Amino acid sequence: MRCHRVRKIMFLVIDGEAEQEILVSVEQHLVQCPGCAQELEYARRFVAVLRERCRRASAPDQLRERILHKLRQSGLGGES
Amino acid sequence: MRQRTPSEDSRERWDFESQAMPFVDSLYNTAYRMTRNVQDAEDLVQEAYLKAYKYYEKFEEGTNFKAWLFKIMKNTFINNYRKRQQAPPQSDFSEIEDAFESQVSEEVTRQIKSPEEELLENVLDEDVQRALDTLPDDYRMAVILADLESFSYKEIAEILEVPVGTVMSRLYRGRKMLEQAMLGYAREHGYIRSGDEPAKMRSRKAGSDNAGSEG
Repeated sequence: MRCHRVRKIMFLVIDGEAEQEILVSVEQHLVQCPGCAQELEYARRFVAVLRERCRRASAPDQLRERILHKLRQSGLGGES
Repeated sequence: MRQRTPSEDSRERWDFESQAMPFVDSLYNTAYRMTRNVQDAEDLVQEAYLKAYKYYEKFEEGTNFKAWLFKIMKNTFINNYRKRQQAPPQSDFSEIEDAFESQVSEEVTRQIKSPEEELLENVLDEDVQRALDTLPDDYRMAVILADLESFSYKEIAEILEVPVGTVMSRLYRGRKMLEQAMLGYAREHGYIRSGDEPAKMRSRKAGSDNAGSEG
C-alpha cells in the first residue's frame, strides 16, 4: 500500500471502519514508513481530543414536555 | 385510509414515544450544533418529532430507528433553516471526491511538529466548539454524527442520503478544516507559538521522503 492510500483511509482505520485485510496492509506500510505512522498516530489523538472536548448539550426538560404535549394533540398519519 | 379508533391512536403514540423519546438528548445536541442557537434547536427537534410521528407508519420495523429520526431532522434542517441562512446549493459528489484526492496528495508530505503536538496538549474546549461552529454545514453534520453521536459510516450515509465514499471524504476534510481552525485559535490565544507556520508549508524531514516517493 502507498502513502497516498494510507492517508486517504486513515480515518477509516481510526473509526474502526476498515476491514481486516486493509488493516493488515496499513500495518505493513506503517512499519516501513515513519511519516505515515506519525500522521496516523496524530490523527488518532486528534479525533480522541475532538470527542472528549466537545461538550454535549442536553435537551431542556420543557422541550421534552412540549414535544409530548404536541404529540398528544396531533393525530397519527393524518395526511399520509 | 381507515379511520383509527382512539385506543389504536394511543397505543401507536405510546409505541412511538417509547421508541423516540430516549433520543431527545442526541437529537437536541445535534440540532444545537447545527443551528448554533438554543431556540432554533428546540424548534428543530420538536418539528422533527412531529414529522416522525406523522410518518411513523412509514418507518420499516427492524431498520435503524435512531438513524431514521436523524434523517428526518436533517431534512427539516435543510428545508427550514439552511434556506434561511442562504447557504450554497448541495455539493456535487464528484467535486467533493476530486477535492478530497487533491487534499490527500497535498498533505501526504506533511510532518507533525511541535505546533500540532502543543495543540493536542493545550487546546481549550471553547476553541474546539468554535472551530466546529465554523465548519460548513455538510462537513459539520458529518463530524457531529461521527464524533459526537458515534454513528457508523453506513448510518451517516443513510442519514445524509449520500454514498459512503462521500461520508469518508467529508469526515477527512471536515476534521482537517477543524484542525486548521483550532491551530489558528491556538496561535491567537498564544498557547502555541505564533511564529510557527502552518504544518503543510514547512520543509520535509526524515520519514517524509518515504511518504513523498511512495505517495
